[in-house]
Amino acid sequence: MRNLYLKTRLQLNALFCKEAVISDYNRALVAQISKPLSQLPLMAVDLEMTGLDCQFDQILSIGLIPIHNGLLQVAKSQQLLVSIDGSVGDSAAIHGILDNQLTQAVSAKQAMAWFLEQTKGHVLVAHHAPLDLCFLKTEIQRCYGQTIQFVAIDTMAVEKRRLLRQHDVIKEGTLRLDACRQRYGLPVYAAHNAAVDALACGELLLAQMAGIAGNDELSLFDLLG
Amino acid sequence: MDASELQPITDFIQGLVPFDTLSNLTLDRCCKSLSVGYYSKASRFVPLDPNNPQLYIVRCGAFEVRDKNGELLDRLGEGDYFGFPSLLSGEDASNRVAILEDGLVYHLPPNMFDFLRQESREFDRFFNRAFAKRLRHQGRFKAKELTTTSRVSTLMSHSPLTIDMKASVAEASRLMRASRVSSVLVIDNNKLVGILTDKDLRNRVLAENLDGSLPVHQAMTTTPVTIESNSLVFEAMLLMSEHNIHHLPVVDNGVTTGVVTSTDILRGQSSQPLLLIGEIERQKDLQSLIQVSKQIPLLLQNLISADARAEEIGRVLTSVTDALTRRLIVLNQQILGEAPMAFCWLAFGSQGRQDQAACSDQDNGLLLAHEPDEAAQGYFEALSHAVCKGLDECGYVYCPGDIMAQNPKWRMSLDKWKQVFDKWVNTPEPKALMHASIFFDMRSVYGPQTLFDGLQDAVLSNTKNNDIFLAGLTGNSLTSSPPLGFFRKFVLERDGSEVKGIDLKHKGNALINDIARVYALSAGIKEVNTAKRIRALMEQSIINRKDALNLADAHEFIAHMRLSNQGYQYTQSLPVTNYLMPQNLSSLVRHQLRDAFKVVHDGQVGLKLKMMRSY
Repeated sequence: MRNLYLKTRLQLNALFCKEAVISDYNRALVAQISKPLSQLPLMAVDLEMTGLDCQFDQILSIGLIPIHNGLLQVAKSQQLLVSIDGSVGDSAAIHGILDNQLTQAVSAKQAMAWFLEQTKGHVLVAHHAPLDLCFLKTEIQRCYGQTIQFVAIDTMAVEKRRLLRQHDVIKEGTLRLDACRQRYGLPVYAAHNAAVDALACGELLLAQMAGIAGNDELSLFDLLG
Repeated sequence: MDASELQPITDFIQGLVPFDTLSNLTLDRCCKSLSVGYYSKASRFVPLDPNNPQLYIVRCGAFEVRDKNGELLDRLGEGDYFGFPSLLSGEDASNRVAILEDGLVYHLPPNMFDFLRQESREFDRFFNRAFAKRLRHQGRFKAKELTTTSRVSTLMSHSPLTIDMKASVAEASRLMRASRVSSVLVIDNNKLVGILTDKDLRNRVLAENLDGSLPVHQAMTTTPVTIESNSLVFEAMLLMSEHNIHHLPVVDNGVTTGVVTSTDILRGQSSQPLLLIGEIERQKDLQSLIQVSKQIPLLLQNLISADARAEEIGRVLTSVTDALTRRLIVLNQQILGEAPMAFCWLAFGSQGRQDQAACSDQDNGLLLAHEPDEAAQGYFEALSHAVCKGLDECGYVYCPGDIMAQNPKWRMSLDKWKQVFDKWVNTPEPKALMHASIFFDMRSVYGPQTLFDGLQDAVLSNTKNNDIFLAGLTGNSLTSSPPLGFFRKFVLERDGSEVKGIDLKHKGNALINDIARVYALSAGIKEVNTAKRIRALMEQSIINRKDALNLADAHEFIAHMRLSNQGYQYTQSLPVTNYLMPQNLSSLVRHQLRDAFKVVHDGQVGLKLKMMRSY
């Protein structure tokens, strides 16, 4: 039922969208989402931004790593720096991205074209996905003048449901990416950039899937909540 | 938008042996080829896809490798590997990998694994070793746990040293010194009343400022803890640790029948080479030496099942032979009297090279300081006959070629030996060249080093850069070649007993010995052990580093195969030979053996180019 609903939404968006890139993107998803999760192409995504407000702040870099047949494909891990208006300012302290590095960066428009091409036919995976999706949607709206439909798994939401089901009290910080990874015994990564965080998020999803499924076949909707 | 570097993965892989030997560029390529999987306890086993073998690198979590019978082979944690046996052998994985703790695992694809093996010798070697080790682990017969199954009677000394309780401690000490033991049983009216040990002498006599006239019964430990001869060794160990003692008198039905010490138990457990050598040096007659030498096959077995390196096994066994030879010389000199002149007992062949294995025969000779008169000749004839006979009775059979000190031909003065070597070097006839393989691997086992050096220096100055002799020697060593054809077809030789197999000694190790010998003689290198010769040749840049290491590896590998094969034959009560049955080999070992023989072949080609170019 939810499958049908999601498919319809994607189909409709493809139908009414006046931009071929976006309608193709949504149509490609329709073909994939009814597959069992183990065969569904996934793409772990992480964005670094100048701030948390998707209306005013900008994307600094995008990290991607695909998950095919349940395996993270290190060979296809990528990171893209996006040029911004103004300076990276205070967020440089967090991302380590400095203004002068942004000389290799591409424009927001190029970045979105690249992102759509790389993630076409993939269900996205992100930690606290709504934030990343908001930035992406806003930027795509700005570049193409069209609305896009993403299908995304939010590892934070997955973790929150799991903890609630165990009647755990969710304290502040327990849902942060590192804290979640720690509960699965995943290694601590010192370095932080979009690519490493995408890897970290992808690994967390694999651990969550193993934890939820055991030996059973999972479907996408077990994770969409 | 180039593929990004995932620093955490690179950092982790870089810290792992053998990946740490890769260049940065290769490492980078390697890390980028990885994929990452997560395995949960709930699925119990890692699904190993037979159509898609991978090298699995554990990033976190815990795993267990078990064979198809469920036998535990290996326990793995962070930084460990599995899956390489199928990658190396091309065979389907027969082992299962159980998940003990959820974990993240990196997968390295087979084409990258092969690339890295070609790229880095260390990488290749690491996984071949790891595999060979696991194979051996798999094939290892379960050694019987000695302490839990054998009886005290098998270890105890049967005629214990006894003394009357009224004797003085000085007498007791002298008795202990003469027998080289650390305890004596104290008897009164044929009844055991106590035991006197080194410790008692220290604590109750010396430390108390008492003198040697003190009667034994005042220093001894009264009513000592005893054991019966049919008790388990295990029980003896328990008693010892319980009472913190090292000596247990053995008493059966009130009669003292022996004593067992912690050293006896230790010796029985491992046939330690050091203990064996110590024991050889303690024996006082031929009969007891023969008795002790019966432990040598057991020592070899223990070394093989302990997975010692073949080179080490050769050295250990040879040092036992050396000790035995020396002891025989000393014992016979006690009978025959002081030697009329300085002499060296020479060991040739495998004993000279320190690579003896099972069923070695003796190759030896006698080097005399100067020309003997008739009396001296008689003395050395008697001595050499006695020693060779002793060795024969201890299991080192007479040399079929009669190269032994008891043969007057090989019992000569320094000048005569020099002449003989001179003749071999300067008129290299076929027979002389055949001798070379035995005589040029010589070592002095007994006697003044200066005397031996006199001979060796003379020989080496003669052979060094002697093109004609070296070419002849090379030609002779090339008459035999490694059985490479075997891998296409089973081209095998016959042993006397109609059994076919690969002759690992004559078609493998002997050829490497030959190569090392020719080079060593050409460069005047004093070493005779093949591994040491190769190392010296490498250090003097006579063989390049890569070839030298390959040759040394091949030598070790073939020798190891030969030893483990002999270990197998021994446990199966088959006659112990140098022949390996090809049908017993897995495809990986066959592959490794072929590589090793290929190295021998290349070594022969190189030798020919270098030494026979003027022909």
